[in-house]
Amino acid sequence: MLETRGLCKSFGALEVAREIDFRLERGARHALIGPNGAGKTTFVNLLTGVLLPSRGNVLLEGEDVTTLAQAKRVKRGIARTFQINQLFRGLTVQENLCIAVSERLGVGGAMLRPAGKRADVIDEASRLMEILKLGEDAGRRVVELPYGRQRLVELAIALGLNPRVLLLDEPAAGIPSAESHILLDAIATLPKDIAVLIIEHDMDLVFRFADRITVLVSGAIFAEGTPAEIAANREVRAVYLGSALDA
Amino acid sequence: MIAATQLARRHRFRWWELLPWVAGIAVFFAFPNYLSFATQVLITILFALSLDLVLGYAGIVTLGHAAFFGAGAYTVGMLAMHWGWHEPFSGLLAAALVAAVIGFASGMVLLRTHGLTLLMLTLCTMTLLEQAANMSAAWTGGFDGMPGLSFSKILGLFGFDALYFRSQYLYALATLFLCFVVVRMLVYSSFGQSLTGVRENLLRMHAIGAPVRTRQVLAYTVSAALAGVAGALFTQANGYVNLAVLGLERSAGVMIVLILGGYGRLYGAFVGATAYMVLEHTLAKAYPTAWQLGLGLTLIAVALFARNGVIGIADSLRRRLEGSAR
Amino acid sequence: MDPVSILLGGFASGMVLFIVSVGLSVTMGLMGFVNLAHGGFAMLGGYVIVLAMKHWGFLFLPSVALAFVTVALFAVVLERLLYARLYRATELDQVLFTIGLVFVMTAAVTLGVGPETQVVQLPDWLRGQTDLGFIKYRTYSLALIAAGVLLAIGIWLGFERTRFGARIRAAVDNRRMAQSLGVDVGRLFAVTFAIGSGIAAVGGGLGAEILGLDPNYPLRYLVYFLIVVSVGGLGRVTGVFFAALFIGVLDFVLKIYFPKGGTIFIYVLTLVLLLWRPRGLFGRRGA
Ligand SMILES: Nc1ncnc2c1ncn2[C@@H]1O[C@H](COP(=O)(O)OP(=O)(O)OP(=O)(O)O)[C@@H](O)[C@H]1O
Ligand SMILES: [Mg+2]
Repeated sequence: MLETRGLCKSFGALEVAREIDFRLERGARHALIGPNGAGKTTFVNLLTGVLLPSRGNVLLEGEDVTTLAQAKRVKRGIARTFQINQLFRGLTVQENLCIAVSERLGVGGAMLRPAGKRADVIDEASRLMEILKLGEDAGRRVVELPYGRQRLVELAIALGLNPRVLLLDEPAAGIPSAESHILLDAIATLPKDIAVLIIEHDMDLVFRFADRITVLVSGAIFAEGTPAEIAANREVRAVYLGSALDA
Repeated sequence: MIAATQLARRHRFRWWELLPWVAGIAVFFAFPNYLSFATQVLITILFALSLDLVLGYAGIVTLGHAAFFGAGAYTVGMLAMHWGWHEPFSGLLAAALVAAVIGFASGMVLLRTHGLTLLMLTLCTMTLLEQAANMSAAWTGGFDGMPGLSFSKILGLFGFDALYFRSQYLYALATLFLCFVVVRMLVYSSFGQSLTGVRENLLRMHAIGAPVRTRQVLAYTVSAALAGVAGALFTQANGYVNLAVLGLERSAGVMIVLILGGYGRLYGAFVGATAYMVLEHTLAKAYPTAWQLGLGLTLIAVALFARNGVIGIADSLRRRLEGSAR
Repeated sequence: MDPVSILLGGFASGMVLFIVSVGLSVTMGLMGFVNLAHGGFAMLGGYVIVLAMKHWGFLFLPSVALAFVTVALFAVVLERLLYARLYRATELDQVLFTIGLVFVMTAAVTLGVGPETQVVQLPDWLRGQTDLGFIKYRTYSLALIAAGVLLAIGIWLGFERTRFGARIRAAVDNRRMAQSLGVDVGRLFAVTFAIGSGIAAVGGGLGAEILGLDPNYPLRYLVYFLIVVSVGGLGRVTGVFFAALFIGVLDFVLKIYFPKGGTIFIYVLTLVLLLWRPRGLFGRRGA
């Protein structure tokens, strides 16, 4: 579904992506793990078009989208969340979602009809709020919410784009563990044919969620395989998982 | 889900939205001797309203908005002076068109930048127009501008009188109303909503696939057109135009008016322009230096503490009251 | 006028622009703060010099030094009390705050000293003409050029050769990095702001001959200072130096040959340049 070939990116002398060959299959539940600074977020930025690669290609369903603008990729079904919340902080939760949904339905530029009369948009926003248990906060401004709840808004916005490929950059970071099941449930209710890539440091969560794991170290793919294979991989254990698994 | 119906109801008319217009008509009967001043207030309201669209809603910080006011003002002035085009309504349209074209062209180029660079570029564009108006004296009257312009009767009935601003006032009030209806519609539309998105978080706006630049340029163009109408009203009502319609002072002035009233709030322009100009009218003439000192201190205080002007303060008071009532 | 005189005249006004603007460039580049009140510090410097010479019996050079010290102290107080609260604020708040500050400074000067234009009395040794061998030229203009060049060299050395300068350079390029390397950014800001404003104060005084000195000074020249800084590049001392010289000479030439609105070319040039290179001629590209 989403694929990269020989993807390279450097910031000056720092190589943050080296020859990354990667495939995200339709319906995959794929985890991308790696130590801090490995280049995971950068990889997502390359996939979504925030950054242009120095070399290599990005393919969406076999078609080269390497230089395609970010907005166009979104229209083709690539949605992402940010590691650090990027929300419309001064607006209400409902407005946050309505903006995203309007954009997907192609009415974001409509000047004549009041936004409040767009029942389709508002209903869709309500549905998203229900999924993420945000109903009570619908009318509250995002700044007023605790960080964990804001995290859920972040995910809701991405879901509002009705993606076929969903890229989640540490979605659970900052959510109190009591609420992290809301997030997992929401992901679990996604249609099966959506491809999900999740970046995550919490190994419990990774092994519960993923059917495939890629390990990124210093910008290069270090290992890839099923959870069982990765867990059994001695080098991965040594380099990265060691403490997390033995503990 | 009480909160969720908020959005669905926001665009509906509320009774108090009639107040400004009732007040506007009341002024006409109550203060016949102040209509000249009141007309200037209306023009400033319109100018501030146009700025609100870009500054308050789209979050574009510009120091060059007077460029469009000036473009509109000079357009009707030059039309009347050189081409014998004295009809007021078509003059407004022509001014809106010229300002919109300048807004669109400069917006296409300038809105690629942001922050300090954008501030500089808008400032330079405006100064450029100012210098151009100053230089081409044969067309614009140069430093002295064009005094003694005349315009034909509105609808062939009501003439502009240089001393009694009765026609001018009603004409300006009607124009303001029409423009306000347009702005109100835009602000509550999906387009307006997405502008607030641009203001609040560009990165996210890109990430949901919104054509950010297009939206910004559109807002900038509409806003320029409205500012052009305000400028045209200025020339028509006063019967003259000079370099004071352009320049940093007017740009900064309208920004201050809008901020003090409350930006991104539709009625901030009304509150700000009225309060500011009435205070200025009464205080600045008598104590110009003290007025400047007070204004400066107020701006500092607003920047440090009060963020959202008079309406913003009223809003947070209301919120606090509602909060304690619950 | 012959070309050499024109060049010297242009250099002299360019130096004034440089002395006033260099502090603005460094502080804006360093703190990312839109400081529209910078010209106010220059004006205050001018007034300190005038008052010191007229009423307190100071000689010329000591009053210039006094202007530097008092304005720098005043600036550091303002920075710690007010500016520092707005480093993370939006540009809009910064614009409002600094415009407000300009109004207050203008009003304060009008109230305290009066609205009329002030003249800085030059000492005898700076008056008249000096024979350079190939040309006779106004002594004061030559002195301005010398002062500007010396200051530029001084600032350049300070930047390149001292630890403090190295810290500023690091923080301009990458504030986070500098912070994580243990640079006390708060102190750095305060000291830089004080020095930058102090230098502007000197420029306001020395340049009064050319730019004049009255309460409207900060707003009148605001656009010019901003142009110099954005053409030269934020935080780039050499950039600002050459930009100031260039604009000084250009302005001088245009005013002689196109007295009616010739300065329009400066705005056109600035526009084109900023569109081509948003970070200025000497600014860094990227990121
Ligand atoms: N715009 C940039 N310019 C320069 N260097 C950058 C930039 N963005 C990221 N880097 C560097 O690239 C490296 C990889 O960063 P990235 O954010 O992709 O890591 P990550 O794997 O997401 O780490 P984390 O687990 O901490 O989120 C880091 O060393 C980072 O400092
Ligand atoms: Mg990351």
